[in-house]
Amino acid sequence: MKGHMDKQADGTMLAADLRTLAEADACRTPMDALLEAAGRGEWDDDRGFRLLGRLWTLKRAMYYVYGAWAMGLNVNEFPPAVAYLFGKQIYDDSTHEMQYVDEILRRGWAPTQRAAFAHPYCAFVPATRLAYFVFALRALTNYRQNIRIAAFNLGAKVIELAWLERLGRDWPDPPLRALFAGQVAETRSHVLMGRLIVERCVGSAVDEGLARVDHGVVRQNYLFALDEIAAATLGLAEVKGEVSVPKD
Amino acid sequence: MPPATIPIRIDHEACTECRMCYVVCREIDVNAVYVAPEPRHRFEIDPARCLYPGCTACLMYCPAPGSIVEAASGRALVPPPPDVWTPDRRVPRGIA
Repeated sequence: MKGHMDKQADGTMLAADLRTLAEADACRTPMDALLEAAGRGEWDDDRGFRLLGRLWTLKRAMYYVYGAWAMGLNVNEFPPAVAYLFGKQIYDDSTHEMQYVDEILRRGWAPTQRAAFAHPYCAFVPATRLAYFVFALRALTNYRQNIRIAAFNLGAKVIELAWLERLGRDWPDPPLRALFAGQVAETRSHVLMGRLIVERCVGSAVDEGLARVDHGVVRQNYLFALDEIAAATLGLAEVKGEVSVPKD
Repeated sequence: MPPATIPIRIDHEACTECRMCYVVCREIDVNAVYVAPEPRHRFEIDPARCLYPGCTACLMYCPAPGSIVEAASGRALVPPPPDVWTPDRRVPRGIA
């Protein structure tokens, strides 16, 4: 067992492998169906609200994930850059979250942020793919930061970057196109910092094995969440509202 | 007579695009780091504005080893080598 623990990993090769796997997933995502619908003119305010409402819900749920992860980011376990880059990632995703809700309010789809929170399109509902993705990410809290970042930044973030680039380039509505395009730079930075951390901080075979497993799970869960977002936006699936649990 | 400057550049193979160099460079009002629209809105360093080796502020704040290099030699400057990271060069004179 000790021999296995002592085995070394090639972080550079691992980072390249993980990114390649996610890029294969990213060639076509459920978000492309939305781009095609918008391109055909099959788009209206309700679909726009559904889309931004679900994306806002996903982004604001990241506070819940990052808060848990930060608790497990132990001082002196990694170089200071790892904590600094994580702080920047939290800040960036917080900005993206606010951009989504700002656009919802600017378009008058909800009169106030309080009203947006209460709207079914923006509700965080536990029994959904979106929530499953978030809960599974949060379950990585007791993993080391290098493994979490390998799974998330070289998995879901690579896929997110790909669809953001396509929507930021081709979305027909200029303000929405600018919103997506504006998030590309930060998301690309998250992928690059993922590469840096994997290259420099994944050094053992055990860490590599865990990173590969978690990376597969995160990619799959993220694609399921995107599928649900796209289906809900196009009206192919119900947007679930609040779930009540009986007292009994 | 001002000291001679040495051109430095960002190595995009190592850079994480965290923009700390940009933030620091603006904070001390040197403004040598800028966003180049082409090809991909990446950060670049304007040799006409950069004061290196008279200023090394960005080198201290950059979190990604090897991201900033001397343009001619390719010598990595992150983390700053001891001969570069001297007290009189950490920020431009008159600004600190």
